[in-house]
Amino acid sequence: MSAGQTQQKPAHQHLRRNPPIAGEAEAIAAAQAGDEQAFEILYSLHKRRVYSLCLRMLGNVAAAEDLTQDAFLQLYRKIGTFRGDSAFSTWLHRLAVNVVLMHLRKKGLPQISLEEALEPTQDDGPRKDFGGRDLQLSGSIDRVTLERAIEDLPPGYRLVFVLHDVEGYEHNEIADMLSCSIGNSKSQLHKARMKLRDLLRTGQRKESAV
Amino acid sequence: MTDTRPRGIDMNCADFQDRLPELFETQADLSAEEHLKTCENCTALVRDLEYIAQQAKLLLPIHDPNPGVWDNIRTAIRNEPGQNNSGPSSAPSAGR
Repeated sequence: MSAGQTQQKPAHQHLRRNPPIAGEAEAIAAAQAGDEQAFEILYSLHKRRVYSLCLRMLGNVAAAEDLTQDAFLQLYRKIGTFRGDSAFSTWLHRLAVNVVLMHLRKKGLPQISLEEALEPTQDDGPRKDFGGRDLQLSGSIDRVTLERAIEDLPPGYRLVFVLHDVEGYEHNEIADMLSCSIGNSKSQLHKARMKLRDLLRTGQRKESAV
Repeated sequence: MTDTRPRGIDMNCADFQDRLPELFETQADLSAEEHLKTCENCTALVRDLEYIAQQAKLLLPIHDPNPGVWDNIRTAIRNEPGQNNSGPSSAPSAGR
């Protein structure tokens, strides 16, 4: 499989990301009518996915919790506008992504466009791989190791990598969300994967040196 | 003819790696790439990048927020100003 094989997502991938949830439709209708218990059910059903998204995008527990809270408050305010044109989890997920991006824009450097902010400094970036040392990652990478390496990515790389490779968004969607070009999204993704490889190989070298 | 390439850098690798993002995005069959038939280094690079992308897709949401997050949300929604057109059609109940 190619690393860029994302143009046409197979149905099972959509189902894995947005599986039908028993009782969700009833909870949505009740929450739209103002039922707090129903809203709590929706929170219970989706808190893990929203929080995991925030945490992976931000790499910071406190900020991820704050933005999970913000995302569900936004949900409370906007749930009346949900018409079921897409899966509820897809709709909520996009809402949560927007909450995180708004936060980053506010917190970020307003005089610099996000496209520029996405470009890490030379020191942060991946190296081209011309060397012959430690040709390949050895063995398999466990989930915790990969999560840590993602956390260590420069923020711009991390955003695009999480949105594309973890969350399954397409480059055109990411470009739209980040107000950057599709080419920029593609380029950032490639650099992010290269940088992750650097980080994972460095980790493996350190482990083998112990 | 003098080879002006920097020592230790195989320009075929540089060329190939410059093309790599587009090759991935177009879902090209990389095994057909001539360069990979002879370059162990780039073959390893491609394998690693594919592996990283595959593993990332397997990362499921596994983190749970602190229970206090829901307490804060509940408090906040109870303090929301009454009705608005885009919100729930009636105020949430005060108690459970």
